[in-house]
Amino acid sequence: MRALLLLLLASGSAMAHELTPTYPKLTPSYIPGVMSTHVVLWNARQDVSFYKVEVFDADMQPVSFIATGGDLKKVDYLGRAHIEIFVREEDQNKATYICTQSKLKRGSAQRSLVASKVCSKIK
Amino acid sequence: MKKLLATAVASLAATGALAQTEINGTVDSKCIVMTDTSGVFGNPSPNMLTTDPQNGGVEPVIRYDVIAADFYKAVISYPVEFSSAPALSDVVNWVGDVNVSEVSDTLMSDYDANKVTYNNTHEYNMSVAGSTWFKISSTADYGFAKSLPAGNYTAVILAECIPL
Repeated sequence: MRALLLLLLASGSAMAHELTPTYPKLTPSYIPGVMSTHVVLWNARQDVSFYKVEVFDADMQPVSFIATGGDLKKVDYLGRAHIEIFVREEDQNKATYICTQSKLKRGSAQRSLVASKVCSKIK
Repeated sequence: MKKLLATAVASLAATGALAQTEINGTVDSKCIVMTDTSGVFGNPSPNMLTTDPQNGGVEPVIRYDVIAADFYKAVISYPVEFSSAPALSDVVNWVGDVNVSEVSDTLMSDYDANKVTYNNTHEYNMSVAGSTWFKISSTADYGFAKSLPAGNYTAVILAECIPL
């Protein structure tokens, strides 16, 4: 047991996650009563392939939304995902943050255990 | 008359050259979160897992790059539960900390003094543009000096970057 070196909390190489723009704006979409905006996720984490998209209010409480292709995005290493977010018009003042959080795979092969969450603020 | 014409043409040419050339650029604020150094749990005693280097562990380091000052806050939470572990029949007591380990600008040296701490979360206002490295420590103590079951243990650190 003593000799057992158990866990890596993060993998070795520098790995990054980025979301732009920092301050997206909601604009009327082609669907009446629905606002939309566009963000770009960049994945430079070799250990992560999936990111969850979330929309929150100012208190970090979830707000209903739809993202093109679903809220779980597969983004290849060094790839970008262009994400269209749709929010109901009645929620446009409530929706404050668009966040993307890395999703880590379960299992012994999974060694990177830093979950990164980068948000943009709707203005 | 010839002299006057030449002056007028030269003047027009000069005006044209001044009006045509311009370079535009935009710098967007952005935040990049990077995992910089591996973190490893050491197992110095049967009931304990720790990232303390003196006990066989390695403290993970996370780097934040912010392009513009005062646009972001870094929110880092050390783990308070295992994300995967063998079946545990007793409680695990977690202790952890987050500290600035390196900075790219000396003005960042007061980040630790100005941070806001609650529960297992440490919040830093990224008031200076550049890179900041945060070192996270984590210790899990099982039961009352009870041996942890053999197996793989994993725990997750959450590193967030939130615009102000």
